Amino acid sequence: MSSRGSLMFLLHAHLPYVNHPQDSAFLEESWFFEAVVETYVPLISVLERLSAEGIRPGVTISISPTLGAMLENEALERKLGIYVESRLELLEKELERAKDDPALLKIVQLYHALYAEAAELLHKYSGDLITPLKALQHAGQIEIITTAATHAVLPLLARPEAVRAQLAVAAEDYQDRFNRKAAGFWLPECAYEPRLNSYLKLSGFDYTFMESHAVEAAGEQAPNGVYSPYRTSNGLGLFARDAASSREVWSAKFGYPGDPAYREFYRDYGYDGDLEYLKPYLGNDGARRPLGLKYHRITGPGADLAAKQYYDPDEALARVEAHATDFLDRRQRQTDDFYADRGGRPLIVSCYDAELFGHWWFEGPAFLEAVIRRIRTERLPLQFVTPTEYLNSCQEPQEIAPGMSSWGENGYFDPWVNESNDFIYPAVYAATDKMIETANRFRNQDLNSLATRALNQAARETLLSQSSDWAFLLYIGSHSDYAKGRLEDHSANALRLLGEVIEKRVDEQALAALERKNNLFPRIDFRIFASVSKF
Amino acid sequence: MPELSAPPPAEDRLVLLPKNPGTFFVFWQFSASRADAFHSSSFASEIELRLSYSDDNSQAGAHRAPWQAGRAYLPAGRGGGCVAALYALRNGAWEKLLESNQAFAPAPAGMAADRAYASMEFLKRAQP
Repeated sequence: MSSRGSLMFLLHAHLPYVNHPQDSAFLEESWFFEAVVETYVPLISVLERLSAEGIRPGVTISISPTLGAMLENEALERKLGIYVESRLELLEKELERAKDDPALLKIVQLYHALYAEAAELLHKYSGDLITPLKALQHAGQIEIITTAATHAVLPLLARPEAVRAQLAVAAEDYQDRFNRKAAGFWLPECAYEPRLNSYLKLSGFDYTFMESHAVEAAGEQAPNGVYSPYRTSNGLGLFARDAASSREVWSAKFGYPGDPAYREFYRDYGYDGDLEYLKPYLGNDGARRPLGLKYHRITGPGADLAAKQYYDPDEALARVEAHATDFLDRRQRQTDDFYADRGGRPLIVSCYDAELFGHWWFEGPAFLEAVIRRIRTERLPLQFVTPTEYLNSCQEPQEIAPGMSSWGENGYFDPWVNESNDFIYPAVYAATDKMIETANRFRNQDLNSLATRALNQAARETLLSQSSDWAFLLYIGSHSDYAKGRLEDHSANALRLLGEVIEKRVDEQALAALERKNNLFPRIDFRIFASVSKF
Repeated sequence: MPELSAPPPAEDRLVLLPKNPGTFFVFWQFSASRADAFHSSSFASEIELRLSYSDDNSQAGAHRAPWQAGRAYLPAGRGGGCVAALYALRNGAWEKLLESNQAFAPAPAGMAADRAYASMEFLKRAQP
């Protein structure tokens, strides 16, 4: 059957750069381990399985440079291996403990299979999960794009040099990691302002994504609303997020993830199990913490955590199938309605954080697989497309002037600028302004190796201070001390290094320690922060 | 209100950032010498922030704050491009000390409020 519309699925995979090589078990590094086991491994497995069966997934994945660096970090890979082995050891004990409880045993077996799959995939790719993603892209199964170097909310960077550095470092990082030029750019937090058009184009990107009201703000310029790609006056391709398809998947209240049969995220065995029994699997402090083993289902709206019932994997999978059917029915209705109104074939762009699939919504990867499989096996009149494919096959998109926007709460920049986190900006700008000033001062000077290393590390620290994650964590009140500490450290590190270079007294030992810890962007050149006229 | 343990900057700074269609965020930092001028009462203790539209330089609003406050939220007026300036009172006359970058307030879009960052529903639920 010929297509009546196209679906574009974009999964934005991002974690802040968390690397503490001096600690054997660092709490915030578990964000990475959990995301690998619960999201990245299951997604890669789904994509490889579909591909092997001749079903081309055709999804787009944005991999942030910080996440990419973590996926290639050998120290983190070693710790990840230990984490997976440790969980498997605990799950072996759990299999024994649950042997007389069929309901619990079923769940423990599921988790055992999840961690065993992670161990197998990590072994297969020697711990480097970029390898299978790169292979999938090379085979034309998926498209991988990038985002800002450290996921800065770009409209909140008032210095053109800082925006340019975030984009140029991201472009170079992508080239190094995937051996090709990045065509697409995911705006962190979908945060757009018109001044970004020229920065994106000059950094070599062909297209980006934005929130639906960015396009709606263009009014009559955008007669097809979010159902069509557009372009800016300088030729940057634009795709707008479709709110309806996003809400069905995003919303814990009204969307699929809130189904009573699905796994409950907040009840974790780390808080339920016997403390002595669990101690070897908790942190060095022995305090209770989430272990990623969650044995209960949502059970019902508002059900108290203590009253949650055991999770039933079979029941949950049945709901996945029902939700995949519902999702596709709704997309077909959307395309039919559009066709009836406009006589054309719409493009539906669904964008999600990748970590929603598996980490937050445990059944998310199975849902994604069911959706892709059904389109193919049931010959539905929908097709999955990637942005480059779509732009190559469609007519010249209409030019629009989109409005400022983000996908944050209330649609603008409130989550990253409010009374819970606004105190960070003086530190961010102190580092940024000093970095720009120092880059301008030394850009044309012959520097010795030590000074160059110090300036390059200062550039890394400055970029890390600009990450959106610190403001967001402070806003939601999660890991606030860590976020504040990271921001303070990166800003102070940058200022200290820049001061040392100016005063010609670089502390090589301290510099080397920072280079080991904040060791992303190996090819960075501090001059990327220098002022240039063309921007 | 949390603060960062940072030393005073070497230079003065005034930065204007967009928050939403109705509001800008502005922060300022004074170098040690400028702070000394406030401490020694060379300047009055209250500063004035004046927001002006970039297109015609007309004033969008003014806001007074203690010089140590360091940050404020300013109504965006009719929106669009704006610049903030920081004034201090010396010998009865307002003196312009700093001018910010130009920032743009987003134009309000009807559906924007419905675009709540849905993952917040996951992230903001209470931990046990």
